[in-house]
Amino acid sequence: MTTLVVKDEDPYGHGIGGWLSHVGAVLFGIPDTYRRELRLHRPRTIALTIMTVILVTYPILNSMFLASFSRTVFPLPLPDDTTVTFMMIFGIMAIGLNIVAGFAGLLDLGYVAFYAIGAYTAAFLASPHWGSISIVFLANVPQGFPGIHLPFWIIVPIAILIAGTFGALLGAPTLRLRGDYLAIVTLGFGEIVPVVFRNLADVTFNFSLGPLTLAVEHVNLTGGPLGINPIDAPYLPFANVIFNASAGYAPVYLGMFLLVFAILFARNLERSRIGRAWMAIREDELAAEMMGVNTLRTKLLAFALGASFAGIAGSLQASYLGATTSDFFQFSTSILVLIMVILGGIGNIWGVLLGAVALTYVDKTFLPYVGQQLQQIAPSFPNPAQFNFLFFGLILVAMMRFRPEGFLPNRQRAAELAAHTQADVEAKVDQIVAVDSQAETEAAIDADPSIVLDNTGPPPGQDETGPDARSPETTDEEREL
Amino acid sequence: MSAVEPTGQPAANTVVRPAAGGDLLVRSSGVTKRFGGLVAVNNVDFNIPRGSIVSLIGPNGAGKTTFFNMITGFYTPTSGEIEFDGHPIVMKRRNKMRSLRPHEVAGLGIGRTFQNIRLFGTMTALDNVRLGANVHLKSRWWDAALRTPGMLREEAENRESSMDLLRLVNLEDRAHAWARSLPYGDQRRLEIARALATKPKLLLLDEPTAGMNASETRDMTTFIRRLRSELDLTVLLIEHDMRVVMGISDRVTVLDYGTVIAEGTPTEVRRNPKVIEAYLGRGAADT
Repeated sequence: MTTLVVKDEDPYGHGIGGWLSHVGAVLFGIPDTYRRELRLHRPRTIALTIMTVILVTYPILNSMFLASFSRTVFPLPLPDDTTVTFMMIFGIMAIGLNIVAGFAGLLDLGYVAFYAIGAYTAAFLASPHWGSISIVFLANVPQGFPGIHLPFWIIVPIAILIAGTFGALLGAPTLRLRGDYLAIVTLGFGEIVPVVFRNLADVTFNFSLGPLTLAVEHVNLTGGPLGINPIDAPYLPFANVIFNASAGYAPVYLGMFLLVFAILFARNLERSRIGRAWMAIREDELAAEMMGVNTLRTKLLAFALGASFAGIAGSLQASYLGATTSDFFQFSTSILVLIMVILGGIGNIWGVLLGAVALTYVDKTFLPYVGQQLQQIAPSFPNPAQFNFLFFGLILVAMMRFRPEGFLPNRQRAAELAAHTQADVEAKVDQIVAVDSQAETEAAIDADPSIVLDNTGPPPGQDETGPDARSPETTDEEREL
Repeated sequence: MSAVEPTGQPAANTVVRPAAGGDLLVRSSGVTKRFGGLVAVNNVDFNIPRGSIVSLIGPNGAGKTTFFNMITGFYTPTSGEIEFDGHPIVMKRRNKMRSLRPHEVAGLGIGRTFQNIRLFGTMTALDNVRLGANVHLKSRWWDAALRTPGMLREEAENRESSMDLLRLVNLEDRAHAWARSLPYGDQRRLEIARALATKPKLLLLDEPTAGMNASETRDMTTFIRRLRSELDLTVLLIEHDMRVVMGISDRVTVLDYGTVIAEGTPTEVRRNPKVIEAYLGRGAADT
């Protein structure tokens, strides 16, 4: 029976000490795990090792000699440091959107809003924007410098909190909506946030509540269309490294560092009771609710956690570029991240990462390169870099036709997609099977005269829709039951 | 929405009748559900003694599933009272009927299966059962993200107890198969295992033998009896297969057009002319 085996000693330990020893065990277990993998799946492990080493050392190799080979030896240009940094930023975003759209199955078309919120958080907390005050704390600027200057390492957790809070605030009233309606509301939010940032350049308001009066006159909150700059670059004290756009490959590793955390968090969440609840909601929200999953809270959690990943990406982007304006946060960015997720393989962390890397490359290196080449051959021809979304659209159409589950599909999502074509066939087979066994049961009952009341029910598997189907109050969802 | 609600019914009696003897797990009185002008369930009093197997039968559209859905918090009754194990499931707040949400009801200890199997098809059999225990797991998202010791322990225990449940329904060797790849009978049993994972006091089975052949039906009947005796469960069945109903029920309640037309032991109900009439027509009752 369902009795638990009570173990004498607890293998997991307790509290922070237990956690640290667990983390230590995992870290020290890596060599053993690696050796076992090498023994069991030799070719795969070697290939993955080589790939990882190349990817991790790529920025250094690139700055040393690969960049000079680019476009002369290789047929295609290699991505430069800026592009690789953006691969990391978009990788974090794609992993975050994958939590919302991939794990929980909620379509979020306004994801860029949280990216913007992350970027403006960094801008507010590490720039001379608030010129009338001076708060400098552990930052790479002299004391007494105007504005708030916090270090990047403090800004990231704040951005996570703020973006996550906005995710929850948007989610709380809207997650009762489903499907298309949720998409429309998030779309609206994605449009509103950048517009708010663009227009809060000259704020005047007067608010009084009893003795409390708050009056503001002509205050520039967000820098308007010009945005906010300069934003302090992330800075590593002692080692004296600055991670800005002119720092070469250093910011790539900063991005990689944050990306690794994003991957770990997302993966851990996926393999937990919360991940299972998200999957269950995606499959059958009603059954999940009936099985005790608080669907509203679980969806809200997906929304808030997904948003906080965009907060990380946004603060990294703003700090890296050293400036932010609302123009960076167009609707097209939401769509771009969504295409990354779909293209790479919705629901699979490695898939969406691949999607982010591939599309950032196409967007920032490949298309400009093709444009350059075209300019030399046919100067009057329009530059393809201006039509990037045309190409993304074509790629998406081709993918939907030939590989709708993405490059590296999530097994479950692939099966769900396949189910749409197979569902009819399966349903028919089930019906036939059910009818057969029903006939068998009836035959058995006929042979048994002790039964007074015979089968009078509906054919098995058929819903009792009678009163519900006609009721105007019943929603589609209720009718399903 | 119809502007005017039909008011043909007198106000429901809101006083819970004293227990007819014995310990009642579910008591409901005067439960009415209207969909617009249609009265799906009409002033039903229905009690389930603890530890019993009770069947709810009736012709198509009699309101059985609607009643089921009100117990699980999926529908809010138009009027009436439902109480489970001392907790009210339906309450009147600011003159409006409110119901606990289904996940809260599940947390109180009501597990259910569905008329049409509703497993999470592309989750493994094991994960389906593990999800059922979700309501009893304490770890929060930060535990999950950091894989804290408490969370790991809870997951291991959850996995262990879910495997035990799979063993109970003889599916332990299919633990890692996708739920939807299982044969029909296995899916029915997996759904019961998932419901059991919520650690229910009351198990609601909506046509557990639908689509099963005679021998599968026999197995299921034995299994339900075993569940009751081994797990101290109370079972409420909706079933059309009269052999199942008559074979395992302690009490049978017959609904027709939303009202209770008969209630009693299987033998009593079987002889009741009203029941025979509802099922087979007036002619059958006269002969």
